[in-house]
Parts: sequence; C-alpha cells; structure tokens
Amino acid sequence: MKIGPVKEVFKNLFKKPMTVMFPQEVVEIPERNRGEHHLDIDECISCGACARICPNRAIMMVEVPPELKEKYPKTYPQVDLGKCCFCALCEDVCPKGAITLTTYFFLATFEKDTTIKEPIIIE
Amino acid sequence: MTNKQQKYDVGDFAMFFGPAHPGSGNFSVKVEMRGERVLKATADPGYLHRGFEKLMEYRDPMQNSVLSDRVCVLEPLQWNLVHAEAVDNLMEYDVPERAKYIRVILAELSRIQSHFIWYAVMSLGTGFMTGFNVAMGYRDYILDVFNMITGGRVYPAGYICPGGVRKDLPEKAEKKILAVLDKVDYMRKFASTENLAWMARFKDIGVLTKEEAIKYGATGPILRGCGVAADVRRDDPYEIYDQLDFNIPVYDEGDAFHRFRIGLEEIEESMKIITQAVDRLPKGEVRTPNLKPTVQFRKAKGETYVRNELSRGEGAFYMVATGEKTPYRVKIRGPSFSHMIPILERLLTGVDYADLPAIYWSLYQCPADVDR
Repeated sequence: MKIGPVKEVFKNLFKKPMTVMFPQEVVEIPERNRGEHHLDIDECISCGACARICPNRAIMMVEVPPELKEKYPKTYPQVDLGKCCFCALCEDVCPKGAITLTTYFFLATFEKDTTIKEPIIIE
Repeated sequence: MTNKQQKYDVGDFAMFFGPAHPGSGNFSVKVEMRGERVLKATADPGYLHRGFEKLMEYRDPMQNSVLSDRVCVLEPLQWNLVHAEAVDNLMEYDVPERAKYIRVILAELSRIQSHFIWYAVMSLGTGFMTGFNVAMGYRDYILDVFNMITGGRVYPAGYICPGGVRKDLPEKAEKKILAVLDKVDYMRKFASTENLAWMARFKDIGVLTKEEAIKYGATGPILRGCGVAADVRRDDPYEIYDQLDFNIPVYDEGDAFHRFRIGLEEIEESMKIITQAVDRLPKGEVRTPNLKPTVQFRKAKGETYVRNELSRGEGAFYMVATGEKTPYRVKIRGPSFSHMIPILERLLTGVDYADLPAIYWSLYQCPADVDR
C-alpha cells in the first residue's frame, strides 16, 4: 500500500480550508473589482459619452426630479444595472471622472424596478 | 418501411447525451444505440448561439472587445487577445512592449486555468469528483489574480484591448503571479494521470489517427496528441512568443489519455513562459492611443485574418473594415467547431456508451465557441 494518500489526508485535516464562512467572514475584494456605479453629479458635465460608449445601452441621459431642476438643469446618466455588463467603459471614457465603479457587488434583487439607478436620490 | 425493419433490431434505440445531462455542457449528441454499443452519433450544436459575428457589425471595436470575452467563457483573455490583434492590424497600431508582455502573461495564465477545467471536467465525466473539486479550487487562485489585474474574476471586460491593455498591472502583481505559479505547480503534481482510475478510463480510448486529425481539421492539443507538432505560437509567432523559450509537447498515440497528457505538459510550458515574461517585463506605456478608450475605426480600411494558439486550438478573427465606425464583417473561427462535430462523430462510432463521456471531454470541448 502506498503511504502518499494517507499523508495527504492527515495534512488536509489540519490545513486551513479554501472557503470562508461567508456572512461573518468575507474574502478581500481587490481595488479594481468592477461593482456598482457611483455618480458624482456635481462633476458631471452632461456630455453623454458614457451613454454612447455603453455596449448594452444600459445608460440613459435623464432629467432630475422637478424639485432639483433648478440646481441640475441638464440631463444626467441613469444606469440600468439589469442591463449593465460591468465593463467600466463609462468610467474610462468620462472626461471628468464623474462616473466610477465601486467595489460593491451585492446587487441581487427580487424586484426588477429596483435595478434602475437614478442619477440623484431624494431623501 | 421494410428496409427499416431489416436494418434495426428490437434492442435498438436512439437517445440524447445532453444538453440536460449533468456532464455535457450546452451541447448535445444524438446517439443511436444497439444495446450498450453506439452505432451512430450525431452532434447537435446550437444551444448557445449568441450571434457574435452579427452583433460585432453594430458595435465599435472597443465595445466589441468587451463582447469578445464571451466567445468562450473558459478562456476569455485569449479571445480578447485575438480580437485586439485583429483591430491592431487594421489600425496599424504599434503596441508598446510592456503591453505585449502583459498580454502574453495573461493569455498563458488563462491557458493554465483552462487546462485545470479540462482536468476537472474529465474527472467529472468519469465520476472522479475529487479531481473536479481540487482542480476548480486551484483554478480559483488564478481567478483571484485576474480579479486583481482586470477587475473581473472570469470576464476581463476587454482588458486586452486594441492598442495594448486597458490598465497597467497593479502594485505587487508580479509577486502575486509568481506566488500563484507555486500553487499551480502543486496542482500539476496532484493531477498526475499515472493512476489506475485514469489509465482504465482513458488509455486506448477514442484513438484518432494522424491522417484523420489532419483531414477533419483538428488543431491544438488534439492535433499534437496525434503526433503533429503544430503550434501557432511557434509556426506563426505573435506578440513576443518568438523571443521566449518553450517546448511543444507532442505524443503519437492519439488516445484520450495522451491528449490530456499534452494539457498537463502545456501547463508546465506555460509556467515557463510566464516566469520568463515576468522576469523580462519592461517599463513604459501600456496603451498606444493613450487618450481615450475609443478607437478611431473610420481610419481603417481593408481586411485582416489573425490566428492565435488558444488553449483549445487555433482561434482566429477575420475582420473587414470599409471606413465605417464599425467593422463591415467579422468571422470568428473557433477551435472546438471541428473537434466537436466531425471528430466527435467519427470517434463515437462503435464505442461503448460508458466511454462516451471520456471521449467527449477528452476533446476539450467548449460549446460556446462551437456556436459563437
């Protein structure tokens, strides 16, 4: 009988597992991970470059709600995360760096309407 | 009718292997059987058709480079590279030296993780679950490197783009790549195929002769497993492959076992290539049009055909530009097409049904690039 497999079993008994206990522990997310978008609306110049380069046409230039119309008169990118393929071309093309991708990726949802990310949220 | 009655006997039946079979992928084979023996096999592709060739006619090259990931899920960076080279040719870009090295490092890492999947699915197909779990587990270390460099674990989203690569390597990336190679080395030793389970299931199964392989258009490990030393990296070097030192493993037997031996030895050669490339990695720019991600494709005119050695064989892009914003025509040649239709049908004729998964997976199939 070969001793190799037995040795391997004992080694694995005391080894740290490859997986982690998820809700308590999370693996480290790299800085470049492409997650949910973040729009800095004050930086945005409404050029529409992000909407034009989006391969899935997930970005639409929309107006903000009427109560904020005075402060933000132009159109701003609204991202439909349901269509987005997280390629980060919008981030690369933005001349002002207004739209960026964060590392946040917990985006699963039960309702389809919640996938749309408005340029500004009124609280 | 009378003819049919004479031809078939009472124990004959036809059935599907896949696409809902747990070990078939998005591909199906219709097999006509007599008892346990396969009389005739007919490949039935088309479950994963997404129409990339047409989609690419409506998108500009930068968007296409994001799309080119999806051609084959298991080797997206290599498909990125073929697409990027096609556009580079048309636009006459002079790709910076550093970008070429980064491209090669990532393409070879992609080859290693793809070969791990090969080991995983061959184990899965023959009921060796430990092999599957361990190979997929070790593949994850490589995916972590991809996540760190490209921002996505599986899909790089056009990281290798026309004119170079989208971003420079992050800090300490070289160190991490070399650290991952140690893990790969351990996995390669674990995946030794010299054990009874593997020998019994794969030795002398699905033998493809040299003449047949050439006749049916085999490429990559399938062709090299039959004794033909053909490799695009050597025959028609692209990027920096002509400056690197590596061997091309070849076996004459042509059976399932030796086809996979090629895979294992290629992992070793890829490790050699990565180590050399990381050592010689020069400093400098990583993107030619260093301004914006858009490519001025209107300037391009003419046609190009670029071929690369992917993990599964020879993958190629044919692209025509007529001075419009988007390509006029794109044709993608996937290596699995000739492996999965003529060669699979030929090899499955007359085998036992129990050998079907072994032959099927030893052909290193990817339904995604058969259907495109």
